[in-house]
Amino acid sequence: MKKFYLMLVLLVGLAVLAACSSGDEEASGGSSAEGAGSADTITAWAWDPAFNIAALEKAKEAYNGDGDFEVKIIENAQDDIIQKLNTGLSSGTTKGMPNIVLIEDYRAQSFLQAYPDAFHPLTDVINPEDFADYKIATTSHNGEQYGLPFDSGVAGLYVRTDYLEQAGYTAEDLTNITWDEYIEIGKKVKEATGKNMLTLDPNDLGQIRMMIQTNGSWYVKEDGSTPNLAGNETLAKAFETYKKMMDADIGKIVSDWSQFVGAFNSGDVASVPTGNWITPSIKQEAEQSGKWAVVPMPRLDMEGAVNASNLGGSSWYILNVDGKEEAADFMLNTFGSNADLYQTLVKDIGALGTYSAAAEGDAYAVEDEFFGGQQIITDFSKWTDEIPGVNYGLHTYAIEDILVTGMQDYLKGTELTKVLENVQGQAEAQLK
Amino acid sequence: MNQQATKKDELDLPLRYKETRREKTGVFFKKKVGWLFVIVSVIAITIFNFYPMVQAFLLSFQSGMGSNLEYVGLANWQRLFGDPTFIAALTNTSIYLLIQVPLMIVLALFFSVLLNDPNLKFKGFFRIAIFLPCVTSLVAYSVIFKYLFGVDGIINVFLLKFGFISETINFLADPFWAKVVIILAITWRWTGYNMIFYLAALQNVDKSIYEAAKIDGANSIQQFFQITVPMLKPIILFTSITSTIGTLQIFDEIVNITNGGPGNATISISQYIYNLSFEYTPDFGYASTVSYVIVILVVILSIIQFRVAGEKK
Repeated sequence: MKKFYLMLVLLVGLAVLAACSSGDEEASGGSSAEGAGSADTITAWAWDPAFNIAALEKAKEAYNGDGDFEVKIIENAQDDIIQKLNTGLSSGTTKGMPNIVLIEDYRAQSFLQAYPDAFHPLTDVINPEDFADYKIATTSHNGEQYGLPFDSGVAGLYVRTDYLEQAGYTAEDLTNITWDEYIEIGKKVKEATGKNMLTLDPNDLGQIRMMIQTNGSWYVKEDGSTPNLAGNETLAKAFETYKKMMDADIGKIVSDWSQFVGAFNSGDVASVPTGNWITPSIKQEAEQSGKWAVVPMPRLDMEGAVNASNLGGSSWYILNVDGKEEAADFMLNTFGSNADLYQTLVKDIGALGTYSAAAEGDAYAVEDEFFGGQQIITDFSKWTDEIPGVNYGLHTYAIEDILVTGMQDYLKGTELTKVLENVQGQAEAQLK
Repeated sequence: MNQQATKKDELDLPLRYKETRREKTGVFFKKKVGWLFVIVSVIAITIFNFYPMVQAFLLSFQSGMGSNLEYVGLANWQRLFGDPTFIAALTNTSIYLLIQVPLMIVLALFFSVLLNDPNLKFKGFFRIAIFLPCVTSLVAYSVIFKYLFGVDGIINVFLLKFGFISETINFLADPFWAKVVIILAITWRWTGYNMIFYLAALQNVDKSIYEAAKIDGANSIQQFFQITVPMLKPIILFTSITSTIGTLQIFDEIVNITNGGPGNATISISQYIYNLSFEYTPDFGYASTVSYVIVILVVILSIIQFRVAGEKK
C-alpha cells in the first residue's frame, strides 16, 4: 500500500513537471530577447581563428551600415557548434543561441530541414546571383535563400615542382589531366624520388567526394535524400581509381589531420589534392617557398567530367531570434555586398570568398612568391566558376560512414558492384 | 558475556515491538519527519533522473529530423534489428565487454593480492604506479595511446628496432589491431581503479583464516581460490557490474583513438548514439531507442551476474 502511494506521488510529480516544462516553452518565445542578444549586441559563432574568426573581425572593422550595435565574435570548435545548435534548436529554446552562425555546406541542408523555422530567410536581403552558382543549391531550401555563401571550397592540386622535376615532369604536365594519368605520373615520381604522391586517409573519403563532384555526381540523388550509390557509375569509377592508387602504392596512409598536414610540411608527399583553404597550412613551411605550384584538380576519365571540384566550404546563417534584422543588416553590409572586404580577406588571411564581384579586384591578381609567382587566387576563382553544382542533401556524413566500410571491403577484394549494392541497402535501411 | 547479551536482545525484541504498536501516532510523526529529511534529494532525483528517463522513453517511440518529431510506434525498435551500423556497434561493444572486463578483473585481483603481501617492499610506490592511470583525463590518455600506436609511433619503432616485425603495423587502420589497442587502453586505464577496491577488501579479511589454512597445509594457490576469492565475492560482483556498465557506455577512448574506424570496426553503442544525434541529420528519437538498448543490456547483465554470483536477494 505504502509503495502504491509512493508511486502515486512520483507520478503526480512527473505530471506536474511535464506540465511545467510545456508551459516554459510557450513562455520562452517572449523572454528570449535577453538570451539571444538584444538589438544592441549581436553574437556570431564560427570556428578556426586563423580563417573564419579572422574574417569576422575584418567584417566587423569594415561594417559601414547604419545599425548601432556591438558584434560579439565567439570562437567554438565546429563540433561544438553543431552540438549546441542541435540541442538548443531541438529543445525549442533560443536562450544562448547566436544571431549569426557558420555552418559547413555538407551539413546545411540537414539543419535547414530539421529546424524549419529556426533560420531567418535572406531572400530579400541578398542577391543569390552575386555569388558562385554552385553554392546556391546547398544554402537554399524550399525556394528561400537562407545562407550567405562564404568561403569557397574550390579544390586544386598542389604539387611540389622540385620533386616533379626529378622525375622529368613540369607542373604543365599535370595540368588538366585525368586521375589515371595522375597515377602513372605518381608511380614515376615515386621511382625517381622515393616520395609518395599523396596522402590517403581510409576514414575520410574527401578524395572520393572531390572525384565524384568533377562529374556532377553525389552520394544522394537530386532530391537530396535518396541514396545514389548502387548503379552510380561516377562513384564506381571513383572507387576504382582509389583502389588503383592503393595498388600503385603511391599513397601515404594517414589517420588524422595533424598527420595529413605533417606529411606535406615535412616533404613526404609530392602533391596535395584538396580545397584551397589548405594554402595557409602549405605556406606554414617557409623553407618550401618556390617549390610549390597549384594546378587544376584531375578529373575522372569519363564523358562530362571537368577539371574543377570542391571540398568543404561553409556559409553564414542568421537564426530566427531577436536581433535578426540587425544581424541581416550587418551581413548585407559586409559579406553580402562589400567587394573591398573580400580583397582584404584574400590579402590578409588568404580566405577566398564566393562573391563574384570581388574577383575583379587587385588582390586577386597578386603573384604569390611561395608558389613561384603564380596568381593562385585568380586561378582558384576561375576554377570556382567551373565547379559542377550538386545538391549535397541531408546525409553526406551518414553515407560516408557506410561507404568507408564498403571501401574496406572493396580494397580487400569484394566485387565492386556487390559492394555498392551492399552500401545502398545499408544506406536505405539507415536513412529513413 | 556473549551469550548473555544475545539472550537480553531476544527478551528486548518483543517488548520494543509492543511499544511501537502502542505509540502508533508517534511513529507516524517520526516517519513524516524522516520524509522531510529525504524529500529534497527525492525531488532532485525525480527532476534530474526519473523525469529525463521517462521523457527519453517516450522519445524512443518518436522519429523525425531535429524538432519535427512524431510518434511512430514500434518502428524505431524494428529499425534496430535491420540496422547494420547498430549491429556492428553492438558486436564491438560485446567484444570489448567479453574480453576486457574479465581480463581487467583478473589482472586487478592478481595485482591486489601481490600488493597485499606483507613482505613486499616499496608497496606504496607500486600501488601508486598502478593506480596512477585512473587520475589521467580520458581524452588525454586516449590521445597518447593514439600516438603510441601510430604508424610512426613508439610501439612500431620499438618492435622494428628489436626485430619483432619487418615492417610497421598500421594498428589503427586494421580492424583487428584497432580493437586490440582499444582493449589495451581501457585495461591500462581502469585496472588500478578496480584494484583499489580489492586491496581495501583484502585489508578486512581476517589474517587468522590464512593462518588456519596454512596450518591445515593449504598452499598459496589453494588459499587464493578457497579463501581470497570467496571472501572478495561481493566486491568482485560490484566491480564486474560497474565495469560492465562502464564498458557498455564506452565513448571517449573510441572517439579519440580510432573515431570508430577503420570503417565501423571499433564503433561503440555510445558513439553511434552521438553520431545519430550530432554527426548525421539529427534523429533524437531513434538515438534514444538505441540508448534504451544500453539500459536493457545493463539490467539483463546485472541480473545474470547476480545469479552467477549466487546472491539470493
